Amino acid sequence: MTLLDAPAGSRCLVQELDLPMELSRRLEALGMITGSQVNVLRKKRRGAMIITVRGTRFAVGMQIARHITVKEEK
Amino acid sequence: MAGEIAIGFAGNPNCGKTTLFNAYTGANLKVANWPGVTVEKKEGRFQFHDSEYRLVDLPGAYSLTCYTMEEQVTRQYILSDEVDVIIDVADASALQRNLYLTLQLIELGKPVILALNMMDIVEKRGMEIDTHRLPEMLGIPVIPVSARRKTGLDILMHAAAHHVGKPSDVPLIHHHGGEGGVTRSTRGARHKHQHHAEYAMVYSDLIEDKIDQLIDELQARYPGLQNYRWHALKLLEGDRELLEKYPVNRPDVLDRSYEQDIINQKYDFIDEIIQEVVVNREERSAVTDRVDNLLTHRLWGLPVFLLIMAAVFFLTFTVGDWLKEYFQLGLDWFSAGTLHWLEVWQVDPMLTSLIVDGIITGVGGILTFLPNIIILFLALAFLEDSGYMARVAYVMDGIMGRLGLSGRAFIPMILGFGCSVPAIMASRALENRRDRYKTMLITPFMSCSARLPIYVLFSEMFFADHAMLAAYSMYVLGLVVAVLCAFVMGLLERGRKRQGNALLIELPEYKAPSAHTIFIYVWEKVKDYLSRAGTIIFVASILMWGLLNFGPSGYTGGDMADTFGSLLGKGLTPFFAPVGLGYWQIVVALIAGVSAKEVVVSSCAVLFSVNNVNSAAGMASLSAILSGMGFGPANALALMTFSLLYIPCAATLATIKKETGSWRWMLGAAAFQVAVAWLVSFVAYRAALLVM
Repeated sequence: MTLLDAPAGSRCLVQELDLPMELSRRLEALGMITGSQVNVLRKKRRGAMIITVRGTRFAVGMQIARHITVKEEK
Repeated sequence: MAGEIAIGFAGNPNCGKTTLFNAYTGANLKVANWPGVTVEKKEGRFQFHDSEYRLVDLPGAYSLTCYTMEEQVTRQYILSDEVDVIIDVADASALQRNLYLTLQLIELGKPVILALNMMDIVEKRGMEIDTHRLPEMLGIPVIPVSARRKTGLDILMHAAAHHVGKPSDVPLIHHHGGEGGVTRSTRGARHKHQHHAEYAMVYSDLIEDKIDQLIDELQARYPGLQNYRWHALKLLEGDRELLEKYPVNRPDVLDRSYEQDIINQKYDFIDEIIQEVVVNREERSAVTDRVDNLLTHRLWGLPVFLLIMAAVFFLTFTVGDWLKEYFQLGLDWFSAGTLHWLEVWQVDPMLTSLIVDGIITGVGGILTFLPNIIILFLALAFLEDSGYMARVAYVMDGIMGRLGLSGRAFIPMILGFGCSVPAIMASRALENRRDRYKTMLITPFMSCSARLPIYVLFSEMFFADHAMLAAYSMYVLGLVVAVLCAFVMGLLERGRKRQGNALLIELPEYKAPSAHTIFIYVWEKVKDYLSRAGTIIFVASILMWGLLNFGPSGYTGGDMADTFGSLLGKGLTPFFAPVGLGYWQIVVALIAGVSAKEVVVSSCAVLFSVNNVNSAAGMASLSAILSGMGFGPANALALMTFSLLYIPCAATLATIKKETGSWRWMLGAAAFQVAVAWLVSFVAYRAALLVM
């Protein structure tokens, strides 16, 4: 599934980033790499979400979230 | 005494770097741009223990790749000989992410001091950081500071002075993640490389082998290069800039980009550090979560935001206008006094006219808006420093997404209600170039405070009973036109691969804004505004005065009918006739309005020789003159619409030029705005003629 499908309150592991090079490098510099843990804090209907990666909060639009493959951690 | 010591302040965005920088330099700093780019460069000087220090605030960056201008600027500056010591400011409450930049800075080979900022927040959250173990693992001095409480500042500067020219004299002690014997002699035991004594960050054997091979190659090809290890690493990462600058012919070593491996291994090492030095790790901060529950709520988020903006406007217009009246009184008094003394001293009437009608009217008119601007910026600085501004991007992302823009683009648009100049500067925060340019095009349509005098005058003259409604509708019209333009531009882009509107913004923890930071923020904006009033508007005022007082026969002494201005106005009348503005005086007033929009009003007063145009008698006589010319309500509507939408003002154009770095782009934006203004006014005028 993608990050866009992850429900608010869930905890996921990043499996793959399928984004243009510059954007995925930027995400990687922020610590979002394969295997990083992402917590979904809140979500809006039109897809923008607030997540934490490595202890920092980010707002991520759906254009990005739908290109990040994740696995939900139970 | 040694010479001047240059210290670069590096760090992630939102790490408190600027607050720390300001704590040393205060408001006496020099703001310029880095050569060739529009990234802001701040420099300050200060004295400490009889040495002179030059502090440079490097742009906030998460890493040192070459993907953004900020990162390029930072790394080029650090690699240059201009900097002696780097102070890496890290937010101790988000150490995990901040250390990523730290590791990269250390690899650059210059002396690095780690300033652990926000230690007070760390303590409040019940976390502890082992400040003895951290320097051992990184091989650099670590100084806990609090920029807001101004603690640890002297110790930090002392450490910086002490480490000039000594990249690393803190012994590196590795424990290898705590496994195995925790002794100082494990270095080298697991790796065939002997790097642990030298480098904090040691990579896997595969990467280290490749680094060694590349270093040999680089040494042979490019003797005299500083820091071969860093160059080798960057080549392995596939860094565009360095691959071009220092090509090596080793396809066997550079068989692919190892960037991902290098990033992963750095983060592995960071995890190791965090394990060892951070005690009582806590993932989330309770306060920020609670505040976010309301401010970024799925349903309440938007109404709360609208309420906050309404409060900001209310303050700007009520308190600001109240102060503005005093400014106006002061200006009238100053103008009358100057006129009086110039006449007493029998100064040449032409010079008197230049000083009083040209310079004082032009520059002074702009200065009277200062109270509104100060209050607006105080409010905005408060919202920004508290951490709320970034949330606005999240709250507005859905709506802006429909227009093909990221939620971030909304911040400049809000600022546009105050003044287009800082609004356009705020578009800097948009990473995507196309989004930035688009935002710069539509932001001037947001009705700024300088346009209000035009609405007030003409709606009161021609729409007496519905004056408020007419003025208010202009604000709505501006917003609608901006949104429509964004929408149309979005449609035109559809089909092209678009990743531009992807929102990605850090949401800092909420904090009580620092008065010092807000003061410096507002002071910088005010200084900017004043210097513009002293330069561009000064020159524009003189030019306007010249156009309205000189004609083919020379100085006309106040008779405007034969001046260059009137000739120009008459020449351009055919262009304005279809939209109901085919009167040379109106055309001249609109041209004059390019220097600043409120000048349209003062020019009308001068052109129609009406004194005190804002008084009831003044309005009645101006209204009578205009009606006599056939200028009715429909024309007034067209004039208000045109004033709302055409070229914002000289200062805004200058800002667009500065931000895009292109004359062509600036002229294109101006032409676009005139075209939109003409079209919309045309529709408004024709529709009004049908109805009225």
